[in-house]
Amino acid sequence: MKIIIAGAGAVGTHLAKLLAGEQQDIVLIDESAEKLSKLESNFDLLTVEAKPTSLADLKSAGVNGADLFVAVTPDESRNVTACILAHSLGARKTVARIDNYEYLQPKNREFFRGLGVDALIYPEMLAAKEIADCLRKSWIRQWWEFAGGALVMMGVKVRAGCQMLGIPFMELKKDEPYHIVAIKRGSETIIPKGSDCVMENDLVFFMAARSSIEYIRRITGKAGYPKIKNVLIMGGSRIAVNAARLMHEEMTVKIIESDRARCEWLTELLPSDVMVIHGDGRDRELLLSEGIDSAQAFVALTDNAETNILTCVASRQFAPVKTVAEVENIDFISMAESLDIAGVINKKKLAASTIYQMLLDADVNNVKSLTFADADVAEFTVSEKARVTKCLVKDLDLPQGATIGGLVRGKEGMLVGGSTQILPGDHVVVFCLGSMIKKLEKYF
Amino acid sequence: MHIKTILRILGSLLMLLAVIMAGCAAVALFFGGTDFFAFLASALITVLLGLWLLYFGKGGEKQYSRRDSYLTITLSWMLFALVGTLPFLISGLITNFTDAFFESMSGFTTTGCTVIGDTEAIPRATLLWRCMSQWLGGLGIVFFTVAVLPMFGFSGVQLFAAEATGYAKMKANPRVAVSARWILTVYVSLTILCTIALWLCGMHPFEAICHSLTTISTGGFSTRNESIASFHSIPMEWVLVLFMFVGGINYTLIYLAVVKGKVRDLLRSSEFHWYLFIVFIFTAIITGGLVHREDRDFITAVSDAIFMVVSTQTTTGFACTNYSTWPSWVWMILGFSMYFGAMGGSSSGAMKSSRIAIFAKSIAAEFRRILHPNAVLPVRMNGMVIPSSTRTTVLTFVCLYVLLVLFGWLLFIICGMDFPNAYGMSLCCLGNVGIIVPGTSCVGLPLTVKWVSCFLMLVGRLELYSVLLVLTPTFWREGNF
Repeated sequence: MKIIIAGAGAVGTHLAKLLAGEQQDIVLIDESAEKLSKLESNFDLLTVEAKPTSLADLKSAGVNGADLFVAVTPDESRNVTACILAHSLGARKTVARIDNYEYLQPKNREFFRGLGVDALIYPEMLAAKEIADCLRKSWIRQWWEFAGGALVMMGVKVRAGCQMLGIPFMELKKDEPYHIVAIKRGSETIIPKGSDCVMENDLVFFMAARSSIEYIRRITGKAGYPKIKNVLIMGGSRIAVNAARLMHEEMTVKIIESDRARCEWLTELLPSDVMVIHGDGRDRELLLSEGIDSAQAFVALTDNAETNILTCVASRQFAPVKTVAEVENIDFISMAESLDIAGVINKKKLAASTIYQMLLDADVNNVKSLTFADADVAEFTVSEKARVTKCLVKDLDLPQGATIGGLVRGKEGMLVGGSTQILPGDHVVVFCLGSMIKKLEKYF
Repeated sequence: MHIKTILRILGSLLMLLAVIMAGCAAVALFFGGTDFFAFLASALITVLLGLWLLYFGKGGEKQYSRRDSYLTITLSWMLFALVGTLPFLISGLITNFTDAFFESMSGFTTTGCTVIGDTEAIPRATLLWRCMSQWLGGLGIVFFTVAVLPMFGFSGVQLFAAEATGYAKMKANPRVAVSARWILTVYVSLTILCTIALWLCGMHPFEAICHSLTTISTGGFSTRNESIASFHSIPMEWVLVLFMFVGGINYTLIYLAVVKGKVRDLLRSSEFHWYLFIVFIFTAIITGGLVHREDRDFITAVSDAIFMVVSTQTTTGFACTNYSTWPSWVWMILGFSMYFGAMGGSSSGAMKSSRIAIFAKSIAAEFRRILHPNAVLPVRMNGMVIPSSTRTTVLTFVCLYVLLVLFGWLLFIICGMDFPNAYGMSLCCLGNVGIIVPGTSCVGLPLTVKWVSCFLMLVGRLELYSVLLVLTPTFWREGNF
């Protein structure tokens, strides 16, 4: 597959690296030779020093016949223009990065498609959604919905109160209404077998129907976990604005921003029930006077990953808050995770995985690369005569490191055991290690 | 300062006034009134004066500065009030100049205080003239921009800005002249609708015209001595409540709602919510009080309360049935509504609901600031953050307004009025309401009181700053240095 990425910024570079490992033909376009030179020597991709909005440059980069054109320069209008040009020059599918919620509205989708922009991604919005999801279901670390929410997968950090600590899976009841698809222990991701068991401080990934969420909450000892009512956000970035807009109806949100002019800018964008505080979020006195001790969550969204991680850790000395940190430096993600920060937000990863999902065959409608586990979750729609329909699941001989979590038939979510027969038309959710999705595609 | 240009504008305004005087003369001829000659003479004098001003203004610069617009506005109102005395003086209806000037100023500022003891005795054309003066004054600046400024090739933006200090101006059209023309259309249509409605309620057509002229302009002159009370008609009162209320709505919003179909803009306007809310609260309090303390039955209490609240809040100043027997606490409450006023960009006077809203929200923000010293607390109107400079302007306006009321009160007491009447007089002149404490009449007030009143009416009509600015020494310093 031929993919052209315009803009060698953070998102573009990350996406290029991700895709280069997948044996795709990647062409990365940017005006700056300096940015490109670092990449070409280290990765298996072609770089072209060109202007993304120049017709001649796009032609010479081979846009005609490209399967996907991704415009991820920092400038929204350039991205849209580049996509329009690329489409008219013969790119099959185009994706533009934007920073404007208006464009994302469903009613405008057809308009943009008419212009030749097939999909829009808004990394700040993706990050804000991630934060909101993380805080809404406060006892859950990670959360995915499949087939419109009939089936959910969630990552729960297991502490001492959990009922199933130390019990091997084969000794647990057979008809439990969940399926443990993966366990993340330290830096290792395990696809569990019957002899494995859950241990304290594991991050356990459950697959279950929506109706059994409360049951899982009980058995993992999270029944008494507080619902998040007050949220303190440090750093008035665009992510903060979008997150506050998503959450302000359910929670009381306060944003601390150190730049006065930016505070004024925030008040113009935010709903009136979000309070903007002018001050430094690292200031202990300020945090206390603004009531960190009665907050249930602390979200750090400054530009600086180190500041975010450290303030999150420090905030826990005031109250047992749930912490979320924006960590743009990919190398720090595992460190943040080891410091027990509940949500680690990385715009680049979110944007790249969203685009990555668009690359996969049209049958796959939801792939998300996990920040915590080196694993992918994919949803496949089973086609007629697919290999999985030929026999029961236990006889399928799936590759090592992949497991079928559950399936959605009609509108009903169900778990998949060894003796389940998968039918054409089912939506199957697969959990797999590494970049295995391409290998799995042949089964469906 | 471009004196010649200002004189030219004033001159042409006088021509317009002369046309209206001639119209009144025609009405006098039609009804066979004794005031035909007075109007004819006044029209002639006005034309001559206008021509004289135009002659002096000949060859005026094609330029127009900010201070010119403030000066023009102030001078034009004073000139109108001055020329407006002619029909009264010539016909001999009012013999003394102070009284005539007071009556005329009360008309052009849409106040509605009168020194004429027996209104029912004066000729019809003069009645119409009084009402016409309020109608012109109510339209105010909009009228200038439509009728006058385009003739000289000015866009009229500066003048529009001069009356609209303190809150965001809405622009319905890129060109001011176009929206002003539409606003004039809205104004005229409302007046015609009001006339028809009053006529259908059984009012004599001539009186219906007079009353609708003073209702839409929120002026308050009546053809009867006892104002609306003398008609003893509940439907008529409700029609007037409706049209006074509409007269208090921002004309741009009415235009957007009626002509462009954007009713949402009106319904979602924060200022409109505040306007409705204030009317509702005052009506509820007064109704409650009348039912509870005065043993009135609920229906008539609501009807009377809403009439008086809308009448004072829109600064119209009509009086309904037996208002004079109401207890003094009701008058204190009505006094509060006189501070508030209706919406900006309407014909009403006083502080306007938008300023009240910004003021109230600023107070709330200050209280929150005590608890959260580092918080950035914006004040929003229509969901938009009000810049802090506008906030300051509004707060200054509110303080200045209250100070001027107190100042007027003090002056009136010095002039020999008693305590409550002086307060009522000060409030009703500055707010252009025209209804004082019951039992008080402007007939026979001392001369000084009348001149102070004229000043307050003018200051109130032109939103304080325009007149006061002209009185500052810096305004007259050469070259805006």
